Amino acid sequence: MSSPSAANEAPAPAPQDAARAEDARQRSDPQRVLADRVEQLYSQMPLGIVFTLVIGAIATYELWDNRTRELVLFWWGLVLLVTAARTALWLGYRKSEDRVGQAKQWLRWLGISALANGANWGFAGAVFFPSHTDEQQVFLAFLLAGIASAGIPTYAASWPMFAMYAAAVVLPFAYVLANFGNPLFVEIAVLVPLFYLANVGIAYRLNQVFHSGYRLRHAYGRLTEDYTTLNKRLERQLVELEEAKRQVEASGRKLALFTERAPIAVLELDSQGRIQRINHAAENLFGWPSNEVAEKNPSVKILIRPEYHEEFDTQWRELMASRVPLAHLRVRNPRRDGLEVVCEWNVTPLVNPEGEVVGVIAQGQDITRQMEADQLKKEFTSTLSHELRTPLTSIIGSLQLINSGVLGDVEKDIAELTGVAERNGQRLLDLINDILDIEKIESGKLAMVPEVLALDELVNESLVLNRGFAERFQVRFQVSGNLLPVKVSADRKRLVQIMTNLLSNAAKFSPQGEAVEVEMEDLGERVRVSVLDRGPGIPDSFRSRIFGRFAQADSSATRQKGGTGLGLAICKRLIELMDGRIGFNNRDQGGTAFFFELPKHAAP
Amino acid sequence: MPAHPLQRVCYVEDDEDIRKIVRMSLERIGKLTVEVVGDPLLAIEAIKAFKPELVMLDWMMPGMDGPTLYRKMREVPEVCDLPVVFITAKASEKELNELRALGAAGTISKPFSPKDLPQQLRAIWEGLP
Repeated sequence: MSSPSAANEAPAPAPQDAARAEDARQRSDPQRVLADRVEQLYSQMPLGIVFTLVIGAIATYELWDNRTRELVLFWWGLVLLVTAARTALWLGYRKSEDRVGQAKQWLRWLGISALANGANWGFAGAVFFPSHTDEQQVFLAFLLAGIASAGIPTYAASWPMFAMYAAAVVLPFAYVLANFGNPLFVEIAVLVPLFYLANVGIAYRLNQVFHSGYRLRHAYGRLTEDYTTLNKRLERQLVELEEAKRQVEASGRKLALFTERAPIAVLELDSQGRIQRINHAAENLFGWPSNEVAEKNPSVKILIRPEYHEEFDTQWRELMASRVPLAHLRVRNPRRDGLEVVCEWNVTPLVNPEGEVVGVIAQGQDITRQMEADQLKKEFTSTLSHELRTPLTSIIGSLQLINSGVLGDVEKDIAELTGVAERNGQRLLDLINDILDIEKIESGKLAMVPEVLALDELVNESLVLNRGFAERFQVRFQVSGNLLPVKVSADRKRLVQIMTNLLSNAAKFSPQGEAVEVEMEDLGERVRVSVLDRGPGIPDSFRSRIFGRFAQADSSATRQKGGTGLGLAICKRLIELMDGRIGFNNRDQGGTAFFFELPKHAAP
Repeated sequence: MPAHPLQRVCYVEDDEDIRKIVRMSLERIGKLTVEVVGDPLLAIEAIKAFKPELVMLDWMMPGMDGPTLYRKMREVPEVCDLPVVFITAKASEKELNELRALGAAGTISKPFSPKDLPQQLRAIWEGLP
């Protein structure tokens, strides 16, 4: 006895076969099957037409006598007429362009022609049998039997057509026989319909065979078609696959080349952290020959100081669990010769489609020199900050004390010179401060301390704070129009620094006695503060550089009026850190309008 | 605000020139009684002896920096309650916040103007509780 599972499986193929047969049947289109049958029927026509003419001519000759001459001629005429019509039908069908779509129509016309043809012979049997001699009667009987039988192969593709045709041939004859008055003929008349029915039965069977034959042929045709399509598609996919393979191979070669020639160290590790391969840069950087590494597969720990091995193990386990690539890992890596380099690593686990880590790619960039440079820059900045400012504090402080007069009066010439010394000391200090600002902004170390503040108040405050500039350059600061009570979110100290810069620039470049105007404009979502002067304007050649470092239109102005040429560069960076922008326009009546814009603070 | 105006100030600063200028500024312009100390390691003893109302500390000094000296002062009962003002050239927000967290009464950034220094110091004094 088979196991339950085998018992369950055994019947499975049978329903599958049935399903396949059903599928095949559905694949045969009934319209096409019909068209094929019509085609078959029409293909028999020429033979039928010739046969009709030959038999018709023989019959006319056999039945010819003087008594019934007109009737026989009339019959022969009918035969010719129907035959001509059938020929025309056949020709029409041959020339038709839509034999499939109009198959039903053509079948109907063929049925009519078959009926007409059959009726012709039936007419001959019914009309000529009573009036002719015994020999001629025998001839007619044979003729009709033959004609009726010949219909079976001719109309086998449509049994109703045969039934119609044969009925038209034999039934009128049977009627005449039954009414002839001869008992033998009555018996024959009874037999004729029986033969007729037997013939129709045969035609029906033949018809069925034809029908299923056509259907199978069509199903097969469809399957072949599908098969061809499928084959073509497979072929195309094969071509695409080959192309893809070529591309993968090409990019693989490229990748290998990239890795080998890359200026950064690339290590290929297995999931245990053993080095499988290293590239040329790694070989140079760490001093381990690549062939030795490829042979011995040492642990990547050879590149990590022993005291960090434990930490490394933990990190490695985390990496294997999370599979999340690590970026910008700074590690001090010992070389084979004992020296150390600092590298920045990107570590990427390779995960296969099954979700297993199959390896790890580690890319390391030697940043030892960069670190040294950064350190040097930090030290330099710190030196500027402290070592330069401390002596300057003493210099400027001493001069300020002398110039303030608290130590007693100083001779005029000396006072002038100490004034020069103080101003230039201050200039040097400004320069150092500006350089430090730029350095801080560019290294991203300048932290903004934004607060919500009333911009109009801040503008007023700046005007008061910078009164000294106005006095020194003998100009007036004045507000044009009304200051708008607008709130912005900004760093107060830095915004005052920007205002100071714009006001001092305007004061420096305005002719003596002129007014420097400040105005505020509402721009919808933003607010603009402009500082307008009556200075010489910005030369075209300078417009594009004005916010660059050490930018001054006329270098002689630096000596006369002070300034480092860094002020606007700093302003631009500061205002951008506050999501604002800075710009300038030439004024119609001469002079320049510098402005900055800030987004208004949306009240919560 | 303290009950009486600021009178006695002690300044710890390693740079001799700046010590001179500050002393001159505070004495001549500010009319204050001033003691300056050059060695931070001797500062606490000097402060104990001078008994100032306010102490000014330089941030960067060889031997001991300002914040360290400040912490040391906190451990000495006679000087632990004195208000301390830092004079610093490192004026980044972060460092100023560090100083405030230490409990500094105020900061004055270096370079300062000797003309304005007494006024700045008085403003800090008047802002004390």
